[in-house]
Amino acid sequence: MIKNKKYVMVYAIDRCVDCKACMVACKAQWQVPENHFRTHIDEKYSPGKYAPNRKYFLPSQCNHCDEAPCVSVCPTKASHKREDGIVYVDRDICIGCKYCIVSCPYDARFFNEEVGVAEKCTFCLPWIQQGHQPACATTCLSNTRIFGDINDPNSEVSKFLAEAKRNKSKIWKLREDLGTEPNIYYVQS
Amino acid sequence: MVFQESFEWYIALYLFLGGVGAGAILSAAFADLYDREKYVNYIKSASLIGMPAVAIGCFFLLIDLGQGLTKPWLLIYLFANPTSAITWGTAILTLFIIVSLLYAAYNFNFIKFGGGKITLLSLIVLAIGTAGYTGVLLGVLRAIPFWHQTLIPVLFIISAISTGISATVVVKEILFSKKKENIAPIETGHFYLMVLEFMMVIAMIIIALNGVPEMVFSIKVLLSGKYAVQFWLIFMILGLLLPTLLYGLQEIKKLHMKGSFLIIIELLVLLGGYYLRYLILHAGVFTEKFAHYIG
Ligand code: SF4
Ligand code: SF4
Repeated sequence: MIKNKKYVMVYAIDRCVDCKACMVACKAQWQVPENHFRTHIDEKYSPGKYAPNRKYFLPSQCNHCDEAPCVSVCPTKASHKREDGIVYVDRDICIGCKYCIVSCPYDARFFNEEVGVAEKCTFCLPWIQQGHQPACATTCLSNTRIFGDINDPNSEVSKFLAEAKRNKSKIWKLREDLGTEPNIYYVQS
Repeated sequence: MVFQESFEWYIALYLFLGGVGAGAILSAAFADLYDREKYVNYIKSASLIGMPAVAIGCFFLLIDLGQGLTKPWLLIYLFANPTSAITWGTAILTLFIIVSLLYAAYNFNFIKFGGGKITLLSLIVLAIGTAGYTGVLLGVLRAIPFWHQTLIPVLFIISAISTGISATVVVKEILFSKKKENIAPIETGHFYLMVLEFMMVIAMIIIALNGVPEMVFSIKVLLSGKYAVQFWLIFMILGLLLPTLLYGLQEIKKLHMKGSFLIIIELLVLLGGYYLRYLILHAGVFTEKFAHYIG
């Protein structure tokens, strides 16, 4: 049996240099409204055990959660989980109630005033269906962002994650305690 | 911490008016069950304010919807997802509006048969549902820890009944001031509701102060941060403590409020009810996604 595709992304966070090229690329690709971005880079300090605190640049975007609160609270079912794992907002049905925006624990959504709908990262659907990589991953100059199908053991993400596991890198996802089952992996070697 | 900016004063007004309408009808339905003759003017006033308040509240929700006005046919989709609190709310509010409209028509003799006890009981259920929904809407969201408390729906229900009674008394004072009607039991009930609301607010403060950092942040924004003036002056003092004190004095027969003075005090309760929702909405911050990092 062929498994469905399941798109995920990995951030190799040691590599991020905070250039914000991903944010700009995404914005240009999808005409994201002026005051908003679909992906962000946060600056955080990790409390150092031996050395002084270390600074990290942490990307974030929609995690395309398996148990997405934005999907379960959406009254119109405009927000839905696709078979390929992508959580997508159908703009023809979204009524713009903003409930999904306040339901997302990752603050990944925003309200698009121009169209009157909720908006967020789509993993660059439909662009990726034509065989491209998402704009952020293509643009990332330090190769922080790795995108692909985790159900395919030969994909770049699967290999990268397997390698990271072998090297005993720290691998985690955001706020797994909330039960959202996010699909973006943070890897720190 | 990141403040939520999606739910603004439109939504505060929607939650508030939903509560007012539900509270008015709930109090009237109980008064009706108890003694319809005795409270007939109160019941009429409540049915004048009940359905319109909820309907106007829904109107504010409608204009807040990004595509509600431009593509009204999408409204039917609000019923589409049984796991969404908005879908439950839309269903409850729709039924509430229909049944309370019938009730009003009956109270003003437009129709002869009002459905008797069945109508009253269904109004009670729908009114509690409506008031509770306005709190559950926020309470189910884990993303905003300050809203994710069992206390919020309970507090909203209590505040809904209290503001509903106030709105009804205002209408009654304006329209039926000539007709003497002793509503002392309702006033007593209102006083105890206000005391209960005060205790719940204190409980909310204590729980939030001992909660996760996001909750502590939210409550501090209210107690001593950028909303402190609105919280203490408008909500706590004018909207809650002053009216409670005056009702208390009335209970021990040291004071008898009537006419425009009474109206002003009831309007203060309404102002407080609106601010309660407004402030809770605006104090909401998202849960921290990079929890184990600092700064
Ligand atoms: S990250 Fe937020 S918007 Fe994306 S799927 Fe999860 S809950 Fe929904
Ligand atoms: S804003 Fe649109 S996508 Fe979000 S919950 Fe409302 S209808 Fe669903």
